[in-house]
Amino acid sequence: MYLSRTVIKFGGESGQGINTVGRMLTQSLNRLGLFTFSNREYPSLIKGGVASYQVDVRDKEIYASGKKTNILCTLSEKALHTYIYDLLENGIIIHDGNEIELNQDEEIFVQKNNIQIIYLDSVKVALEAGGIEIMANVVLLGYIWKILKQDVNILIEEVLELLEGKKIDIEAEKACIVAGYSHPSYRNTLGEDIELPSKSLQRKLLMTGNEAVALGALAGGVRAYYGYPMTPATSIQKFLGETADETKILVKQAENEITAALMALGSMYMGTRVLVATSGGGFDLMTETLSCAGISETPLVIVLAQRIGAGTGVPTWTGSGDISVATKGGHGDYPRCVISISDINSAFELTQKAFNIADKYQLPVIILTEKQIAESIYSTSSLPPIQKVDRGLSTGEFRYQITESGISPRWMPTKGLKPYISTSDEHTENGHSTDVADEVKEMSEKRARKMQTLEQEIPEPILFGSENAEAIFIGSGSTKNAVLDAQSTGENIAYLSYEYILPLKTGTLLKLAEKGKRMILIENNQTGQLGNLIREKCSYEFKEKLLKYDGRPFFVDDILDYLNK
Amino acid sequence: MALELKDYNSTTLPTWCPGCGNFAIHTALKKALIELNIEPSEALISFDIGCNGNGADTVGTYAFKGLHGRSIAVASGVHLANRKFTVIADIGDGGCFHEGLDHLVNAIKSNYDITILIHNNQNFALTTGQATVTTPKGKKMYAQPHGSPERNLDVDSFILNLHPTFFAKAYSGDPLQLTEIIKKGIQHKGCSVINISQSCPTYNREMTPQWFKENIIKLDTLPEYSSNSMEAAKELLETANKTKKIYTGIIFQDTTIPTFYDNLHSRKGIISELAEEVKEYNIKELLKYTNS
Repeated sequence: MYLSRTVIKFGGESGQGINTVGRMLTQSLNRLGLFTFSNREYPSLIKGGVASYQVDVRDKEIYASGKKTNILCTLSEKALHTYIYDLLENGIIIHDGNEIELNQDEEIFVQKNNIQIIYLDSVKVALEAGGIEIMANVVLLGYIWKILKQDVNILIEEVLELLEGKKIDIEAEKACIVAGYSHPSYRNTLGEDIELPSKSLQRKLLMTGNEAVALGALAGGVRAYYGYPMTPATSIQKFLGETADETKILVKQAENEITAALMALGSMYMGTRVLVATSGGGFDLMTETLSCAGISETPLVIVLAQRIGAGTGVPTWTGSGDISVATKGGHGDYPRCVISISDINSAFELTQKAFNIADKYQLPVIILTEKQIAESIYSTSSLPPIQKVDRGLSTGEFRYQITESGISPRWMPTKGLKPYISTSDEHTENGHSTDVADEVKEMSEKRARKMQTLEQEIPEPILFGSENAEAIFIGSGSTKNAVLDAQSTGENIAYLSYEYILPLKTGTLLKLAEKGKRMILIENNQTGQLGNLIREKCSYEFKEKLLKYDGRPFFVDDILDYLNK
Repeated sequence: MALELKDYNSTTLPTWCPGCGNFAIHTALKKALIELNIEPSEALISFDIGCNGNGADTVGTYAFKGLHGRSIAVASGVHLANRKFTVIADIGDGGCFHEGLDHLVNAIKSNYDITILIHNNQNFALTTGQATVTTPKGKKMYAQPHGSPERNLDVDSFILNLHPTFFAKAYSGDPLQLTEIIKKGIQHKGCSVINISQSCPTYNREMTPQWFKENIIKLDTLPEYSSNSMEAAKELLETANKTKKIYTGIIFQDTTIPTFYDNLHSRKGIISELAEEVKEYNIKELLKYTNS
């Protein structure tokens, strides 16, 4: 079996509905109690191009994709040519449409790997079954379900449930599923070697990383969202906007990222909790506000959903090249916290922690995520427990009172409580501006002490696997998932996961390095930005670096290929 | 106990030039708050960077001094978090029409319930006298020995054409009228924009108190003028342009447009403020909306 999983991939043009059919398949497999990881690749356009929706299926949690696929279902000729080489031996192509002429290389590949190609005119099948054109997608689903050797009634139940509330002809929908499932072109040799793992019939939670961030924010008492659309952050706003009638939060699409961040600053000053999310370019626009939050000691939480490249880069693809700007962006010296999430569980938990840290330490917190985490659909048995809301509010004589911990009293502006000024000017304890040398130095040192206090509170990076493993990968974000995926195929490797990037802790790392094992920096960027931070902090220099910066996430195959190199 | 001016002052003294219009504008604002019985702990002033922002230390209300051109954006966020507060955005003509014009336009569009005081002294004063969009063309300004090469724009017509729900003009040399206008602006439910002609004895010497006296026409003296009519307001500004006069008073007011918050479906019928609602929330019921 290919890396303990079964893989089904849909390919087609943007706008052809592969997301809908992919989602239906994911949900149906979930109904069987299987774990899935679904990843979307798509171009930055609305119609055309080549897009894909890949579902990896397993009997235990799986958070990364394999490069290869068992079943490829294509809705456009271009998609077939694009993805054909992803097929495994004995793979199956279901092409929706007429027979396609393969080029010589493709022919050889198909022959060599014993790939079987089915041409299925799903629209025709749907119409003949008494359905309408749009039901072609469930015809394909039915066909795939047959190859997967699953009970058609479960698929029917799930699809009808998904379509609940929509105006559909239930009987026609059923007929189309059955027509696909029992299509005469099916033969027993299809998918002979595919066997889905035993199933629990226990449904899992299915959600994207962005949805987990949104849920974490809501659990942690966030009452407003301010943002400006930018891939891959945008779907946080979608989830919060579409559930706002239930959560009663305020969702505001601001005129630009500068406004979103500043409005959040104003609202957080007043004592509520606001989520702001953006991607690299938008984050650049927010950096002046970040610096202002730093000196005025106003809590602020910004989700930075990374994509690959400078400028506009490759807008719908993944990467983690914004670690530097997250940790260093904005003028002047000021304290901040940078957190990196890696999957839905950490997204849910760390988003709550981010707000507690922002409130308690009165500083900006940046939550790093990546397109790969933001938009992939994860399945899990349950989310981690909800954290206690910790605001660290207290009254005092001066808003910026000099303290040993660096943390000054902060109280919610309230009628009857002593008014104070929060300011981006360097200031004295009562918030009034100053340019007196000693006062300038003393106040900036007070703020800097918050970083030391915070460093004591946050944990060391977590080691997944044994400290005696042959090789230890060190990284943050989604790289964890590919490494752990490789580990679960039997590799004797471990992963040191940096969730807290600033303040940066290097005790565990240095201890592991002393053991003389292979230490491999793994990052989805070109310069090894986390590695640079580590070197800056403790002079540790990685001899081995596995860097990927082509817009693609790490696949489990990348890790195995690297180890076997 | 009756509120007094000193309740709205801090112990820090202003640093403005003698004769600066900011003295009167700040005093008028504090007087307006007193007369409306708004306590210092019920008001927040969001400050711009510039000469007006240098007054931030002198107030005894809650205050936020943020970034240049951005006081309106901060004020919007403050207002949405707690509508019990009276929120004032102080901003200069440089910050308002250059660095942060987007915030003015969108605050008017959203109709947040805030009051924007534009300290319009027709230049960037704190950086020692650069031209703004309100500086007359040809006037010699910082680094422009041959005068500003750009024309100035009619900012009043610009604002009016955005259909603000409250738009007034005032003059720093008439603090009594200014106080009344600020009071009306605060009382107006929606985004109130007050463009205040502010004397600047250092970088705008041409516009002396005498000059203002000769060129200002108070709308009180035009009893037939109605601030409810957009047509009349446009006509008034046209006349002002032709005759080179400044009309002060409420130029236009529309009380029929709801605020952003009042239009929010998700907040209908909710009495509490966002600032009062931070706690742990159970998200179990929301799980059905994931992977949508």
